[in-house]
Amino acid sequence: MALLDLHPRMHVATVLEHSEPANGTHVLSLDAPDLARATRAGQYVMVVPPSGEAAATALAIYDNSGNRASVLFFVTGKRTRELAAVEAGDSLALAGPLGNGFDLSRGARDVAIVAGGVGIASVWICARELLARGARVRLFYGARTAEMLVEAQRFADAGCELILTTDDGSCGERGFVTDALARASMPQEILACGPSPMLRRVGEIARERGVLAQLSLEETFGCGVGGCWGCVVPLVASSAQAPGFPPADAGGSDVVYARICKEGPVFWAHELRW
Amino acid sequence: MVNATPSLATKIGKLELNYPTLMGSGCYGSGEEFAPFADLSKIGGVVLKSVTRLPRLGNSTPRLVHTPAGMLNAIGLQNPGIDWYLERELHKYANRPCKIVGSVAGFSVDDYADVCRRLAQRDEIEAIELNVSCPNVASEGETFGCYPDLTARVVEAARATTDKTLIVKLSPNVTDITAVARRAESCGADALAVINTVRGMAIDVDAWRPRLGNVTGGLSGPAIRPIAVLAVYEVAAAVKIPIVGQGGIETVTDALEFFLAGATAISIGTANFTDPRIPQRIVAELEQYLRVRGVGSLAEIVGRANMGISNAHQYEGDEG
Repeated sequence: MALLDLHPRMHVATVLEHSEPANGTHVLSLDAPDLARATRAGQYVMVVPPSGEAAATALAIYDNSGNRASVLFFVTGKRTRELAAVEAGDSLALAGPLGNGFDLSRGARDVAIVAGGVGIASVWICARELLARGARVRLFYGARTAEMLVEAQRFADAGCELILTTDDGSCGERGFVTDALARASMPQEILACGPSPMLRRVGEIARERGVLAQLSLEETFGCGVGGCWGCVVPLVASSAQAPGFPPADAGGSDVVYARICKEGPVFWAHELRW
Repeated sequence: MVNATPSLATKIGKLELNYPTLMGSGCYGSGEEFAPFADLSKIGGVVLKSVTRLPRLGNSTPRLVHTPAGMLNAIGLQNPGIDWYLERELHKYANRPCKIVGSVAGFSVDDYADVCRRLAQRDEIEAIELNVSCPNVASEGETFGCYPDLTARVVEAARATTDKTLIVKLSPNVTDITAVARRAESCGADALAVINTVRGMAIDVDAWRPRLGNVTGGLSGPAIRPIAVLAVYEVAAAVKIPIVGQGGIETVTDALEFFLAGATAISIGTANFTDPRIPQRIVAELEQYLRVRGVGSLAEIVGRANMGISNAHQYEGDEG
């Protein structure tokens, strides 16, 4: 009996390159052809901790090209610290691609991407694909400091218009990225990934201005593949993304809990009831 | 001569398993969710997420908190209710390469009996776990499993509805787990699942509030393993029916502790969140462990570490 038969979406990938674009920010580039080929914008992987001593970590797939897929993450705790210690040549086990990513099928010609902090990791593939089809892409990107605005130059070089904000004013405007968005002319569509308060505000702005917004949510994951119902968000029951069974407690309800890992992580802002 | 492959097949009541590994209820969906990442033909079976008489929305968020060597959860039995489940869900579970065990939760003795009867009638379901120990639903949820008399009434009522294997999942949040175990056995349980999660909580020191939406949760993962090993050890000495040992099993060594303590099978839950290949790895390494020691079957080692509980009587007269 083979000890570990690999299944279609379980990969063991060699780390080709490990870079640290800013202090505490890491990019791991992996030799993972099947993963790279299958990845769509806004999807993620569950990375098995090399020590086996913690739950797997959900990381956005930052980029894919040829045989390579990469992940970008901040060191925020024990699990990401362990991944930050991985070196080129090591191998990592990971499951993916997972989740439903951004829906880029509507053909918007003018798109605003809003990224807060490490949320930038979820939107590069979006930007790349939108630019490739000739859309105007504005990146509203906020972080704590100038140094934390990682990879901004890459988006600019690719053709995005950059609107940068920092908490301390060390680069771009001082303040919230959502304030910059609120003042801007409205795009046809908004795609956003970042902390929950930012996403809620993006949802409000989109509603007030009558623009569709897709939000990529983050929550503590359990299994990451839809098996445990730990990472849920309240969603209108009529949403196409609502899990397919009756929403109601005995009292009746028009809201259901959808799994961020499975039905998400990207949801239409106007369908969330959070 | 090459040593014959040791047998890992095991039996829980009438439930025959090719491998002694069940996937814990609520941790593995219906199995389908994990199929792209793990080989379901190399596990014994999946215990489905608990189903209740009526649909349940589940608890508010957050529902999960990672803690040292484990995880707190408070999902709140989110499920579509038995009607929908039987009509629209269960048929999808036919023809799985492993066994399917249903799980029933309830808020009254009648709930358990009714849902158990309807679930057990279905061919897709080979055995039923009675979840009398969910710590995450308001008031009554865990009450059944915390009191021997209430557990007895649930088991009796469920027993009357089916001849299929009934596994009663016990709560560790009790003074004497063996008292509940004995009553479940005497009322007709075929097996016991030992243990459900241990009650716990975590507090956000910035927000000054509990970190779980439900305030309290159930702790799982390696943090509770020693609690679970002891519970299996004690229950094994108290009853004759088989035990499904569970609580933080991640490696073959962990699994062996449970078998040696008296478990006939094990259940793996939270470890699947670390690496979905773990159940398969445990089976492969278990086979190797037995082969190296010339043990022909897993059954031969079940309960072999049991030497009673040492207590003060042994030291009578000893000043130390």
